[in-house]
Parts: sequence; C-alpha cells; structure tokens
Amino acid sequence: MESLGQFEQIVLTAILALDDNAYGVTIHAKVEELSHPKKAARGAVYATLDRMEDKGLISSWLSEPTKERGGRSRRHYRIEKSGEKALRESARTAQRLFETIAQNLGGLAWKPRG
Amino acid sequence: METAGVNGPPEWLERVVLAAIPPAARESVAGDLWETYRTPDQYAVEALHTVPLVIVSQMRRNLSLPTLMLQGALIFICLGGPATLILLPVLMLRSAYQPTARPCPARVFREAILLSSGAMALLFLLMSTRFPFAARSGVDHATWLSLFLLGLLLSPFLCMLRAGLIMQGDRCMPLAADELPKDELARGYSAFLQGVLCRNLLEAMALAAMAVSGFFFGWNTALVGLFALGAFYLLLDAAPRALPATSDFTSLRARYRQELGHQQQLRHFLRWLWFTPVLVALHARLAQDELAAGQPLRAVLDCVACAVLCFLVAALNREHGGRTQEQIGLLDRMRERLSP
Repeated sequence: MESLGQFEQIVLTAILALDDNAYGVTIHAKVEELSHPKKAARGAVYATLDRMEDKGLISSWLSEPTKERGGRSRRHYRIEKSGEKALRESARTAQRLFETIAQNLGGLAWKPRG
Repeated sequence: METAGVNGPPEWLERVVLAAIPPAARESVAGDLWETYRTPDQYAVEALHTVPLVIVSQMRRNLSLPTLMLQGALIFICLGGPATLILLPVLMLRSAYQPTARPCPARVFREAILLSSGAMALLFLLMSTRFPFAARSGVDHATWLSLFLLGLLLSPFLCMLRAGLIMQGDRCMPLAADELPKDELARGYSAFLQGVLCRNLLEAMALAAMAVSGFFFGWNTALVGLFALGAFYLLLDAAPRALPATSDFTSLRARYRQELGHQQQLRHFLRWLWFTPVLVALHARLAQDELAAGQPLRAVLDCVACAVLCFLVAALNREHGGRTQEQIGLLDRMRERLSP
C-alpha cells in the first residue's frame, strides 16, 4: 500500500472533504485552510495532484467549459479506493502519534474550531 | 488596457501565461487562474508561483527515462559531450510540452520540405567547392547531377511519407463518443489491453531475435545488451492487467488513460531502439571511413540518411503520440451513459 507524505495527506483530505466540488481552486483553498498557518503554493497542489493520480490514489476528469473561467473546463478530482485506504492508514498513524504525545506531554486536548 | 473578458486578465498577459503552461495542464490551470483573477498584478504573481511547478510536474509525468538515456547516448556518440549537455535539458523541457493533439498537416509538410531543402543546401555547398573534393573523391559531374535530382526527389518523398502517416492516423480513432456505457468502455479497454499484449509479445520476440543475431554477427556488446534488456522489459510489461470487478466508470476511465500514456512512452522508446543500430552504423562509417578517407560525397549521403531516419522516428512518435493524447483527451471529457 502507498504511504502518504504530509502534504499528500492534506491534499487527499481536502478532496475527501470537498466531495463533488473538488477542483484546482477549491482544493487549494481547502489545503490552505487545513494547513493553516502555513501557506501552500497552488503549483505545489497541482504537482501533488498529478503525482497522486499517477499512483492511482485519485482520478480526474474534465467538466464542461464555463463562462466564469474564460470558457475553460475544470479538472475535477475524486479519491479512489486505494486513496481511501492510504488515507485511513495515515489517520490511524496520526491518531497513534497524537495519543502518544498527549500521554507523554499532556495538554493536547483536541478542540474543534469554532 | 484591452481585456479578454469582463473579469478576465489582459489578453496579452493571458497569452503569455497560456504559452508558458504545458498543453496537458493548460485547460484546467488557465481556467483556475482566470477564476481567481482580481488584478493583472495578482494574476501575474499567481502565474509565476504556479506555472514553474506545473512545468516540472508535467516533465516528471511525460519523461521516459529509458528514452532519454537512449537519446542522450545517441547524441553523445554522434555529437559529443558538450552537445549532450546542451540538448538533454532541451529534450527534458520538450517532454513537458508534449502536444495534446496530432500536428497539423501544413506544419509537418513544412518541416519535411525544410529538411529536404537543408539536404539540398548541403549538396550545393559541396558542389560549389567541387574541384578540391572531386579530385579527392573521384566524383564526376553526372554523379553530382544525379545527386542533385535525388535531393529534389527527397522533398516529395518525405511529404508522401508524412501524408501516409496522417492518413493512417485518421483511420484509427476508436472511442470517439461523448458518452459511453460503462460496459462498452470496459470492452474497449479489454480490447486495447489484448492488442497491447499481442504487440508486446511479438515485439519482445523480435528484439530477442535481433539480440541473438547481433551476438553472432559481432555487434557492439552494449547494443546487443540493450536489445536483450528491451525484450526482457517487454515480456515483463506483457503481464496481463485485469481490472478489479468493482471498478466504476471513473476508475475505469482513469486506468485506461494511464495505460494509454504508459504504452505511448514505451512505443516512443522502442521506436528509437529499433533505429539505433542503423544510426550508430551510419555514424561509425561517417566518422571513421568517409571523412578520414576524404570521401565527402558518401559522408553527405550518410548525413542525409541519418537526418531522414531521425525525421522518420520523430514523425512516427509525433503522429502516434498525438493520436494517443487525443484519445486521452476524449476519455477526459467522456461521460457515462446510464442504461434506461
């Protein structure tokens, strides 16, 4: 199974959260939100999307052209089964990390953002 | 300042950005940049941050390392180290800008005519200094004249060759539908995989036969090894790739696109590999025998033969590559037709 890098995890999570509305602009906005306060270059998001598509973790297709994009299409993305599996594995690892850090350092209560 | 649309970037700026974005990513990246456009400065800065990474990503996607190594070796053998250092980055950058369609006929004919004109110019150059050369190589005026006529015929020959490739490409355009049911797409993909399997097995056998005959005829060991490795790799690649039964239309389409791209890179490499022995032999004759022995006529003929061969391989790759990219584009836009 593919192991994911940190940025790949963020991009994959963004696609998962956006569901049917996952394309370049929205994915970049979601990635910036998830990786706050770090900034993410849009080019890095495209490069990661290409790489994950080549690994078979996600798939893409072009939509119909729209006026608000100068008559150009959006490239939509969707997570594949292997991507879901890799993301679940990453989440488990992150959970184990979180629990270990919380046990040893304390004061790491999870707070949902308002 | 002239603008391309109500909320769009200035036309000239958009044209510059469009030219810089690799064709495979142009539609989506340019659309995203347009959608987030606020001011020309913001657009330019955003493009500057985005486009270089897109170029690198497309380079990584389209670059076939075996092909690059083979081309690098050929350039090194024929033109030497400095030319290799200059041309390799150019080849790498070129792979990022792989066209998404077949080249237009007018352009390919122009290139064919340009190549034959170059060969003619080379002949003219030698004819203008015919006395010292003729004296050394023993070439008479009648031979020069027939060579000149041969040069004249080169242009229609190359144009006919390109026309043949274009016509062949026009005949094979499967899956040209906007909508397909999943089953039909699966059938198309299976047929494609079967074709690839047969072709790879046949080509692997042919490469192995070449390696064996090369071994007995005392070819260069590196060349024999290259053919043997090519055969081995093709046999490995010929392993059947069955689709998971649970694949839906989107996954199937993604797999089909990926396989098309992979086979395109493989064919690109194999075409260069098949012509490598001829190119190496021509270059060896050129470098050792003809120029050293003062036979410029044969040297020119071999140069022209090398150029025509390279033209042929490049034309085959561009036609086939363009056709594959057109098919990938069709798949990209294809929708699933649901059964009533």
